Amino acid sequence: MKVLAIVKTELTRTFRWRANIFFLLIMPMGLILLLGVAFGNSATRIGVVEKEKGQLASQLVATLGNQPGLDTKSYDNLGSLERAVERGYVSAGLVLGSNYDQRLQAGKAVTIRYFARPDSTAPQIRVALESSVAAQGSALVAARIVHSEQGRSFKSALRRVNAVKATAPVGVSLLAAGGGKYPTGGGQFQQSASTQLLLFAFLSALNGAVWLIETRRLGVARRMLSTPSSSREIMLGIVLGRWVITLLQAAMIVFFSWLIFSVHWGDPFGTGAIILVFSLVAVGAGVLIGSLCSSAQQAGPIAMIVGLVFAAIGGSMEPLQYFPATMRKIAHITPHAWANDAFGTLLSNGGNLANVWLDVVVLGAYAAVLLTLATWRLRRVLTT
Amino acid sequence: MNREQNSSVLHCEGLRKRFGEIEAVRGVSFEIAPGESYGLLGPNGAGKTTTISIVAGLLEADAGEVTVAGNRLTTKSVAAKAAIGFVPQDLAIYPDLTARENLSFFVKLYGLRGKANRARVKEVLEIIGLSERADDQAKKYSGGMKRRLNIGIGLLHSPKLLILDEPTVGVDPQSRNAILESVEQLSGQGMAVLYTTHYMEEAERLCDRVGIIDRGELKAEGTREELVALLGEHDKVHLTGSGHLEAAAKACAEIDAVEAASVGQESIELLVEGASAILPEILTTASSAGVTVHSVEMEEPNLEAVFLHLTGRALRD
Ligand SMILES: Nc1ncnc2c1ncn2[C@@H]1O[C@H](COP(=O)(O)OP(=O)(O)OP(=O)(O)O)[C@@H](O)[C@H]1O
Ligand SMILES: [Mg+2]
Repeated sequence: MKVLAIVKTELTRTFRWRANIFFLLIMPMGLILLLGVAFGNSATRIGVVEKEKGQLASQLVATLGNQPGLDTKSYDNLGSLERAVERGYVSAGLVLGSNYDQRLQAGKAVTIRYFARPDSTAPQIRVALESSVAAQGSALVAARIVHSEQGRSFKSALRRVNAVKATAPVGVSLLAAGGGKYPTGGGQFQQSASTQLLLFAFLSALNGAVWLIETRRLGVARRMLSTPSSSREIMLGIVLGRWVITLLQAAMIVFFSWLIFSVHWGDPFGTGAIILVFSLVAVGAGVLIGSLCSSAQQAGPIAMIVGLVFAAIGGSMEPLQYFPATMRKIAHITPHAWANDAFGTLLSNGGNLANVWLDVVVLGAYAAVLLTLATWRLRRVLTT
Repeated sequence: MNREQNSSVLHCEGLRKRFGEIEAVRGVSFEIAPGESYGLLGPNGAGKTTTISIVAGLLEADAGEVTVAGNRLTTKSVAAKAAIGFVPQDLAIYPDLTARENLSFFVKLYGLRGKANRARVKEVLEIIGLSERADDQAKKYSGGMKRRLNIGIGLLHSPKLLILDEPTVGVDPQSRNAILESVEQLSGQGMAVLYTTHYMEEAERLCDRVGIIDRGELKAEGTREELVALLGEHDKVHLTGSGHLEAAAKACAEIDAVEAASVGQESIELLVEGASAILPEILTTASSAGVTVHSVEMEEPNLEAVFLHLTGRALRD
C-alpha cells in the first residue's frame, strides 16, 4: 500500500510538469518522426506518366509498384516528371505512350521511355522495370499464341493467360535470414526504432537522477523515513515509480513507431522481457547517480554523458555489426549492447524469448547489481 | 528499565553525534512524560536539529539510546516511529502537490487507510486552517501557509509525541501566533511535545520544562522557575548605548559582582549580583571605556539570563 502511494505520487508529480511530458513522450516521438523521414522511407520512388489509362499500361505500373522496395507516383505530363526527377523527388521516370494498349493488343511492338538519376539506384530500378516488362511481355506472347491457335479474341485470350498465370507453379517468397517471416514494412527504420528506444529509455531513466535529487532537496524523501515505513518500502516505491515512467515511455515509442512507421516489434514476450529488464537497469543507474551526486547541476550532465556514451558504445547510434570485433567485445560492457543483440534476434531474425534468454539474464544481473548499490547508497545519504 | 522510564513517552540517554571534526551532540540525555511539553532552547548550531533528528529516527547516533513509548528507536525501527509526528525545521512538502495531496500521501505512509484517512485529512486541514486552499498547489501558498502544512503532516496520525524543530523561524508574527496557539491546543489535548527554539519567549510560553543546550551539551533542565532559581541573587542588566561596546563589556566583566557580560546589537547584557548597589559603578566603567549610555534597564530574571549565566554568552548575538 505504502509502496503504491509513493508510486502514485511520483507519477502525479511527473506528469504535472509539462516539461516532463515533453521530454518523456513528445521528444522521442519527434525524433522517431525525424529519423523516419530521413531513413524510414526506404522504398525507391519512380514517377510515371500514362498518356492514356489503358488496361495494360495500368497493369504494368501496378506490377512495378508491387516490386519490393519500389513505389510509383503518377505525373500528368512529361515536363513535371522531368522536373521531379531532376530535383530528386523521384529516382526515375517512366513514360507510357498514348498508344500503349492499342499497339500491344494489335500485336505490335511499343517503346517506353525510361530515364533515371545518375545514382546507385538507377540500375536497380532498371532491373525491376525490365522484370515487370518481361512478366507482361510473356503473358502477351502467350495470349498471342492462344489468340492465333484457338481463334479467341485477343482480349479473352489475355484474360485466360492471366488466370493461368495466377496459379503459376514457381513462386518466390521472401524469408528473413533466420528463417522467420520477412519484416514487411518498417524497413530500414526497423533497426533504428529499437536502438532509439534503448537510447531514450536509458537517457530519461538516468535523468531520473535529477528528479531524485530534487526530491531529496525538498526533504520529503527523508521525511518519509520518519514515518513508520521501512526504508525498503520507500526505496521500492521510488524505484517502482521511476520504472513505471520509463516503461510508459518505452510503450509509447513501441506503439507510435508501429502505428506511424509500421515497425514490427517481434515476439511480444521476448521484446517485453527485454524492455522490462533493460528499463530496470536504466532505473538502477539513474537512482545510483541520484544518490551519488549532491546537486542537480552535477547529476544532469553526468546523466547526459553516461547516457550518450553508453548508447554510442553499445550500438544505439551506429549498429553493432559495423563495429570491429574488439570494439564489439568492449561494447558488451554496456547493457545497450546486450539489448541491441536481443532486438536483432527478435526483430530481424524472427526470434522469440527462448532465443534471447541469455540477454535477459545478463540484463537482469546488471539490474540487480545496480539496484542493490543504488538503494544502499540512497539509504545512507538519507540517514547520515 | 525502571518505572519512570516505562511511563515516559521519550527517553534518551547519552546521545552523541560527530560530523567529521564537529562534535554536534555530546552526551545529551533527557526524558519527556506523557502529555508534557519539553523545550530545547539553544542558539544557532547548538545541536538541536541533530538531537531531534536522532530522536525521530532519521539520523544514526554514534552512541546513546532512544526509547519511544517503551520501544527502542533507531533509524531502522518501523513500529516505534508510529508514536512520533515529526516536523522538520526546513519545509518538507511537495510544492507541486496540493495540501490535500500532500496530506493524503503522508497519511498513507503513517498507515491509515480508506475512509479513516480521508476523514483525518479533512480534520487536519481544519486544524491548520487550510481547508479553503486545500486544492491549490503548495507552491502558491504564503510562507506561513507552507509552514502550517509542514506541521499538519506531523499531526496526521495523532502521535503520542509531536516533535517540532523551530517551527516559527522565518514566519510573520501573525502566523507565528497561530502556530503557537495550535501547539498549545495540541499539548492541552494531551499530546507530548518536543519543541526546539532559540526564542526564549516561545520556550517560556509553551513548555512545561526546558532543556538548555549549547555546543552539543545539555547545560541544565527544569521548569522555568527551577531554571531561574539557578540564577540565585543575580539580576540581568540591559544597557543600550553607542561607542566601544566590546571594550566596555570587557571592563564591566572585571567588576567582582558582574558574573557575565556579553555584547548584543548596540547593547550590553550583564548578569550582576545585587544589581541596584552596583549599577553606578557599571555606568562609570562603561562611560570611561568610551560608551555613551542611552538607557539602562533591570530585567526580570528570565531564561535568557539563565543562558547567559550558564554559558557566559547571550542566547542571541
Ligand atoms: N550533515 C551535517 N554535516 C556536517 N555538519 C553538520 C551537519 N548537520 C549539522 N552539522 C553541524 O553540527 C552542529 C549542530 O548543528 P544543528 O543543526 O544540530 O544545530 P541547531 O541547534 O539545530 O542550529 P539552528 O538553530 O541553526 O537550527 C553545527 O555546527 C552544524 O554545522
Ligand atoms: Mg536546527
